[in-house]
Amino acid sequence: MTDQSVIITKSGERRSAQPMRQLTSSNRFIRWLKSLWGLNLLLGTISIGTILLFWEFAATLGIPGLKDVPPPSAVIAAANDLLVSPQYWNGWLLSFERIGIGFLLAQLVGIPLGLAMAMSRPTFGTIFPIIELLRPIPPVAWIPISIVFWPTREQSVIFIVFLGAFWIVLLNTIGGASNIDRVYKRAALSLGSQPRDLFWKIILPATIPSIVTGMAVGMGISWEMVVASEMIAGDTGLGYLLWQSFQIGAIAHVIVCMISIGIAGYLSSALIRAIGGFATPWLRLH
Amino acid sequence: MDSPMFTIVSDAFASAVAYRLDRGGESPGRWNIRGVREMEAGRSTAMQSGGRSRVQYGVRLKRLVKSPRLYQAVFGIGLFFILWYLFVDFFGIWRFAKLPKLVESVKEWLSTDPVFGVSLFTAEYYKHIWASLVRVFSAFAIATVLGITIGILMGWRRIFFALTFPILETLRPIPILAWIPLAIILLPGRELPIIGLTFLAAFFVTILNTLLGVRAIDKVYFRAAESLGMSQWQQLWHVIVPGALPYIFVGLQIAMGACWFSLVAAEILSGSAGLGYKVWETYYYVQYPTMVITMATLGFFGYVSSAIVRITGNRLMRWRSEMLAGV
Amino acid sequence: MENTGALSIRNAGKIYDPEGIHVVAVDDVSLEIEAGEFFVLVGPSGCGKTTLLNVIAGFDQLTSGAINMDGTPLASPGKRLRPGPDRTVVFQQGALFPWKSVLWNITCGPVKQGRISVEAAKKQAREFLARVGLHGIEDQYPEALSGGQKRRVEIIRALMNDPTILLLDEPFRALDALTKSVVQEHLLELYDFSPKTVFFITHDLEEAIFLGDRVAIMTTRPGSIKKVVRVDIPRPRDHRILTSSRFLKLKAELGEAIHDEAQKAFEAGERELA
Repeated sequence: MTDQSVIITKSGERRSAQPMRQLTSSNRFIRWLKSLWGLNLLLGTISIGTILLFWEFAATLGIPGLKDVPPPSAVIAAANDLLVSPQYWNGWLLSFERIGIGFLLAQLVGIPLGLAMAMSRPTFGTIFPIIELLRPIPPVAWIPISIVFWPTREQSVIFIVFLGAFWIVLLNTIGGASNIDRVYKRAALSLGSQPRDLFWKIILPATIPSIVTGMAVGMGISWEMVVASEMIAGDTGLGYLLWQSFQIGAIAHVIVCMISIGIAGYLSSALIRAIGGFATPWLRLH
Repeated sequence: MDSPMFTIVSDAFASAVAYRLDRGGESPGRWNIRGVREMEAGRSTAMQSGGRSRVQYGVRLKRLVKSPRLYQAVFGIGLFFILWYLFVDFFGIWRFAKLPKLVESVKEWLSTDPVFGVSLFTAEYYKHIWASLVRVFSAFAIATVLGITIGILMGWRRIFFALTFPILETLRPIPILAWIPLAIILLPGRELPIIGLTFLAAFFVTILNTLLGVRAIDKVYFRAAESLGMSQWQQLWHVIVPGALPYIFVGLQIAMGACWFSLVAAEILSGSAGLGYKVWETYYYVQYPTMVITMATLGFFGYVSSAIVRITGNRLMRWRSEMLAGV
Repeated sequence: MENTGALSIRNAGKIYDPEGIHVVAVDDVSLEIEAGEFFVLVGPSGCGKTTLLNVIAGFDQLTSGAINMDGTPLASPGKRLRPGPDRTVVFQQGALFPWKSVLWNITCGPVKQGRISVEAAKKQAREFLARVGLHGIEDQYPEALSGGQKRRVEIIRALMNDPTILLLDEPFRALDALTKSVVQEHLLELYDFSPKTVFFITHDLEEAIFLGDRVAIMTTRPGSIKKVVRVDIPRPRDHRILTSSRFLKLKAELGEAIHDEAQKAFEAGERELA
């Protein structure tokens, strides 16, 4: 059996086919390495490791700009500082609290409204245009009005979180509820279901995946909003802590705050996704 | 890979819903039927002409006027303004009294000699608009070019993906605004940090949506291309790039929204001109009518810029059927 | 008549091992396909016929046995010849590039390989299109075409590459019966016009007998060859032979065998592999 294959074409010319690919390998380590997982892990470690190294020695290497940033060692030291300070953990608590309330409110208002809009054409036609007019205004631009209107700072921050998540929840709910294949509704009706059954047993469950999607995105946006509000107009919370650290020039602390917020955001998104997976068992296929 | 997927879906629905409204056709409940009707009516005509003719625009206008849609919209929007007027201007209920008044704001906007110096007829207004637009435009342009390139590379070459994805996933959960201090430190001057921040927001979104777009291309197209004897580069040009375009453009719309969001925040925190900065300034100096004007202007340009992206996408992807299939 | 494209499949076997579950997709299949022959493989869903086609095309590998084409190796355990225009495939679910026009789709193969000029390719494409009754659609996008039109275009796209073997993976599965009968006739026209070795898989026995020179029946998973029968109905054929006595005899001969396999597949709850 030769390795180079030759093909005789219609017109009689001889063409060499592309060489055969050898795919099996005897060495188990090499094979694991070549497997997707192994490769990703290795290269990922290399790339992150390289960057951390450059960062650490940026000052001595004289890399412009990066040398003004505290190296990883300083960041770790700052982390040690912060992790024992009550202000830091208080910040976690307060930020999470604001997210929780604002986010929840967004769901409480957004989901019913979205369902109503999806199910009733006049409702949609009336409310949607004004939504589309207000939505493009970045929620951050609402901060001043929020401060003016709401009696307490806390409420104004929560309102911004609410606003950010609200648009997403609303749109996803509408989208999910309207995209339910008519076939399902017809099947239910021909099997004799009443309107309320139709809602609770067909429309609502079929919308849940989209609602969960909306929640996951909304959660991400909520974190952006909380940080923005706290930096601009707050006096407690992780975002405020970040900004304050910046004001006093404690950049290593700033970085620790950045990482903390990132982790917090990731955790809350993961939580939402877990709840979502739990609520939609029929989507968990192999 | 969940977050970008969700982001895509959310804004895809947003644009799909807006798209439907724009068509002047039926509302959500009848989307599927509408799609079928389009098919029966023979889409090929529309496809061949490559766009909509004058006749079709006229028909759509007539349909719009006849449908209850137009009147519901007018009612809804009108209701909003009426409530605003009643609650704030007229009755001044509870804390609504503190809010900017509708009539005052509109008058201010239209006046040739506004009380607080900003209206349709003042240069100040356009100075801020221009400052913001320049920043958004440059940040968006760079983010688009870099983001799409990197996203495609990540989808195309496994090694590249393995090298870049971990860093990306580590940095992505950090809210954009948390980067402001670093941006100020690392980038010189006043403009660059703001543009840099705006760029960052769009950058992450674009990369991820592009990556997802490449991944979403049905594998059968790659097989077909291989079977037809296309080289890797030819596959890149003729399968990957066009195939990923739908997701790329949804991502670009989201990126545009993200740009405006981070721009406003960045301007508030460290700017000296621009619409975001102006919003804060008007709060600080208690110039509420101007605040309303600025917010409305922000909304307007945000909408217009997203629309431009969307329309460009539709032009580039004329092969797509009117059913917005796939996204 | 050409004498290229003879396919020799010897004891071909394919075992999948996803998550430790040992799945025998193809079990000791041996076939000798003559050059220029229209060979049809019939079998129930999930029996492994698509797997076999994928191996021939180069998308997959054997775990045992060997496949040769014109004496040169095509596939053996751990090795495969990369997919190429010598073995073009017409896919089941349709793989016309939706973002390119019909004409581009058809001409892209030979043009991109540099075998033929764009002008000559376009001319040839139009000839093919005319043959199957598709005038003037070349500038449309695939989305605008009907199912039957798309299938014809895809077959033409494959043929334009002058393949040694043409592989068709249940191409008419998604068409309704009426469109199917029309498109089948067009396929035979194209085959008569430019004869090649054709490897066609389907689950439809009538289609197999109507189209093929020889029909092989594959058992349900694990797939092996149950029966091979020669269809001695002369060419050119048209839909009228569907009620001829010769056709019905063949159908009876093969019908029991295939029905048996279908029954077994149903009871085993088979789902398509790919």
